Amino acid sequence: MQGAEILLQPGVFPRLLQGLWVTVWIAGVSVGLSIPVGLLTGWLMTLNNRVVKVIMRVYLDFIRIMPQLALLFLAYYGFARWFDWNLDATGACVLVFVLWGGAELGDLVRGALVSIPEVQFESSYVLGLNAWQTFSRVILPQALRRLLPASVNLATRIVKTTSLAVLLGVVEVIKVGQQIIDANRFQYPSGTLWIYGVIFFMYFIVCWPLSIVARRLEKRWAND
Amino acid sequence: MFDWSFVHRYAPFFVNGTLMTLFISIFGILLAIAVGLVCAGIELARIPVARQIVRVYIELSRNTPLLVQLYFLYFGLPKLGIVWSAEACAIIGLGFLGGSYMAEAMRGGLEAVPEVQRETAYVLGLSPMQSISRVVLPQAISTAVPGIVANVIFLIKESSVVSAIALADVMYMAKDLIGMYYSTYESLFLLVVSYLVILLPISIAGTWLERRFDYARR
Amino acid sequence: MTEQPALSVSNLTKQYANADHPVLDDISFTVPKGKVFVVVGPSGSGKSTLLRTIAGLEPIQGGTIALDGEVIETGRPDSAKAGRSRRSSALRTRIGMVFQSYDLFPNKTVLGNITLAPTLVQKRDRAEAEREAVKLLERVGLADRKDAWPHELSGGQRQRVAICRALILHPEVLLFDEVTAALDPEMVREVLDVMLGLAKSGQTMMIVTHEMNFARAIADHVILLDGGHIVEESDDAHAFFTNPNTERAQQFLRTFEFE
Repeated sequence: MQGAEILLQPGVFPRLLQGLWVTVWIAGVSVGLSIPVGLLTGWLMTLNNRVVKVIMRVYLDFIRIMPQLALLFLAYYGFARWFDWNLDATGACVLVFVLWGGAELGDLVRGALVSIPEVQFESSYVLGLNAWQTFSRVILPQALRRLLPASVNLATRIVKTTSLAVLLGVVEVIKVGQQIIDANRFQYPSGTLWIYGVIFFMYFIVCWPLSIVARRLEKRWAND
Repeated sequence: MFDWSFVHRYAPFFVNGTLMTLFISIFGILLAIAVGLVCAGIELARIPVARQIVRVYIELSRNTPLLVQLYFLYFGLPKLGIVWSAEACAIIGLGFLGGSYMAEAMRGGLEAVPEVQRETAYVLGLSPMQSISRVVLPQAISTAVPGIVANVIFLIKESSVVSAIALADVMYMAKDLIGMYYSTYESLFLLVVSYLVILLPISIAGTWLERRFDYARR
Repeated sequence: MTEQPALSVSNLTKQYANADHPVLDDISFTVPKGKVFVVVGPSGSGKSTLLRTIAGLEPIQGGTIALDGEVIETGRPDSAKAGRSRRSSALRTRIGMVFQSYDLFPNKTVLGNITLAPTLVQKRDRAEAEREAVKLLERVGLADRKDAWPHELSGGQRQRVAICRALILHPEVLLFDEVTAALDPEMVREVLDVMLGLAKSGQTMMIVTHEMNFARAIADHVILLDGGHIVEESDDAHAFFTNPNTERAQQFLRTFEFE
């Protein structure tokens, strides 16, 4: 295929992989920070305090109804200036993905906690377990089974959404691709096709295994 | 400080942007529903080769970002001589992405109809067409509606990405005004209001629709 | 000139594609018009499968099924993987069936469930079908629930509606596949009472059940099915249930006793 030689140019693949690493790093940090935020928001959502409930509702609904790109703009252009906070593009991405991931995960945590049947608490009580034992040995393991597949799915979504970072100017895999395309514009005019094709499959190679893991977990635990 | 006269002056831009967002979204969603129906039909009918192709398509579509799909369609494919307008690219991109999500929602709905429902229809003498139209589809739709509504909202949100291929949607307007006038707060305010105006009614209508179709609940 | 039996099954064999042994092996019997034919047997004995082959839901690999003297199904050895029988709509309405559970259409009201087939398949007038539906509902004590949705009904009520839905087509034979097995104990009675009423009115019925006392009360003819064979059959239900002839039947009936 004409133009495919661009991929064999020295430095092209290593540079793309470096870009991919930035993508994966942003996604990884965001997922990692989402977990504590999600556990906290999930727990807050189960509380019976009216003020907390309203705040959590507004937070969750706003995050869910706004496009992620709009949230990125709000964080990068609005939030930073508002609080006079020198937030760079990467920081804005991580902030948005953590707030978004935390909200989604929080809702999952809430659902998982609420779905544990009352009889589980009652049988733990009758068996003489204390509150911590009940939570750590009975409730949490069951909640995790409902939580884990959805969390892996969320990680896939965060990886895909990381692609938007390029629109704030973060030098990640897509930006690196654009730089390569620009630098070889005259030598390999059809390089665009190949570079974007490779990036397409790079994302696929990162996300697909996560999807498979999520599906396996779902299947394995669905019947328990 | 917040400049209301700016908001007033540039609100019409966002009306146009909203129309563009709706235009791309509506056609993208219709295409996604069509693609989803075809895929769900192929999977359910277990058509040999087509079924494998559908599986591959669904995996590719679900595990790659819309932005990269759009860049490939808009900047990549013309190098093979396939040239589309930005609008066509955006609609095809949304259809490609949304088709797999719609297919999964529809397949889930059809699979949720218990076999005994088809058997009862058979024993009562209903023809295959009557069985599908009177018994199977109404129940499948009621199960699939929440998923389809969620996908519609998801696709409208995703459509914000088409601003990256220079389509003048809501997102593009905000980016443009921030770049030109540094009127950040006002532009962001208009951006948020525009998306709320588009998405809130749909979200509320979706909840209503789900209740309306909830007769399958047992 | 003797009257044709409502249903006659000859040498019926049912074999699943991947199974070593047939589920039903050379089964023959007749159900005379207006009689109640009861099938009992341990789980896995092929009772439900027998009803399903008669209803056309499963293909048969040998033998014939005849309805009012007319053969409607002939076994074909190569049909193990075939789907439902390609019977005409009209023929299907002549054999009614009530399933174990959850077979009301959830997207239709009680009245909608009952009038669907008469208006769609038999092309009857809607007003006339609704009048008969209400009459049937009165018979089973549910006239006031005609506009309810299935999910608003108890299990016992649903099964009574399902019986009405089958009856409105005036089937020559009505099949009951463990219709009380999924019900709470206090709802079993209301369904069985409806079936006893049907038996008195002369409806030809074939019943698969685990309720032995009910079987004894309603059966004109009873067979015990085990491993795909008829192990014992009797025209005297009382004798069958108190003093069966075969060792297998005695053993089976003992599983229902507590002493």
